[in-house]
Amino acid sequence: MREELKSQGFEVITVAEDTKGAAACEPFIQAANPTHPSLLDPQHVVAELYNTKNVPAIFWINEEGRIVRANDPIYVLRRNRETGEATVNQAYLDGVRDWVEKGDKSLYLHDDNAIKWRRGQPDRADLQAMAHFRLGIYLYGKGDEQAAIIQFKKAHALKPNNWNYKRQAWNLGDAQRDYGTTFQEARNDPAAQPFYLPLDLPQPPRA
Amino acid sequence: MTMENFGDAIVEATVMYQGKLSAAPRAVVSGDELWLTLPILKAVSGWEMKPEGVCRDEACVTLPNDGYSRLLYQEGSDSWFNLSAFAQIVEQPVAYDPKHQTWCFGPLGWEWQAPMISYETPDFTLPDLQGRYYSLSQYRGKKVLLALWATW
Repeated sequence: MREELKSQGFEVITVAEDTKGAAACEPFIQAANPTHPSLLDPQHVVAELYNTKNVPAIFWINEEGRIVRANDPIYVLRRNRETGEATVNQAYLDGVRDWVEKGDKSLYLHDDNAIKWRRGQPDRADLQAMAHFRLGIYLYGKGDEQAAIIQFKKAHALKPNNWNYKRQAWNLGDAQRDYGTTFQEARNDPAAQPFYLPLDLPQPPRA
Repeated sequence: MTMENFGDAIVEATVMYQGKLSAAPRAVVSGDELWLTLPILKAVSGWEMKPEGVCRDEACVTLPNDGYSRLLYQEGSDSWFNLSAFAQIVEQPVAYDPKHQTWCFGPLGWEWQAPMISYETPDFTLPDLQGRYYSLSQYRGKKVLLALWATW
């Protein structure tokens, strides 16, 4: 995608929201061998700035630095963990091509209300949860997993809809042992918070 | 702890203040409240006492006269500042780990309450695997697809 559209003033930037940083991400990044900037964000700074609650999350940013499409829960290219086989989401890629070609006239852009809704507005509890999460990451880095778990649990209790906080914490230790749950269990819980925002791609125009 | 033995409880603390990590070589911990001397307060958080109030850069927090009594404590030649009580005043989230004497202070109330402008793209600077740093803002003039992902 990037190589195809690069000459039309298009760039891809990927950001890994992964507290284990290079240790966890290096094999994935090397397998993808990207030509675009592939950045590491162990402190979840970008998730915080863009108020995202899960991955993946894609934003389209225009030449003026405005968000024109927000928080799509989609991987454009997905690689099978076992086979290494890559599949491209063609419907989404068509949308990206349309945007690169037509710019602000593309029907794939979100309007201001949609962007506002999809970005949300952090409240006091979001920020309190963030302080616990940040402290948890710091304590984990210091090697005190038990102290980190205490902070992560506080973040989870305050903001159960923040899947970044849960999935990251579960990944750092043993979810069953440390948090009494597993990713599958939590994901399948009927009472669970919505996992992703809807992906509202416009219907392709009739030929 | 009573105020009589205030100075006896000096510990070394670690403070993450709005993303900046600092050691506070002298701190007093009372309950879950963190007290710092004025020079350390400035080094850690940027805040300092001025005639107008508690100030940082262009911003000053002005309190009613009796409001400072909860924030400040004089012992010998040291003035101590209660950073936890100040956080309450400015509606700042705080997380605390007593075992490591570590505090994490989030954004100030007037920062997190400001309505997020829907289309605004906050800038960031992060490294790649080779340690080369990139900022979003250097791509102004191009269309950018920004994709957040994780291995977990």
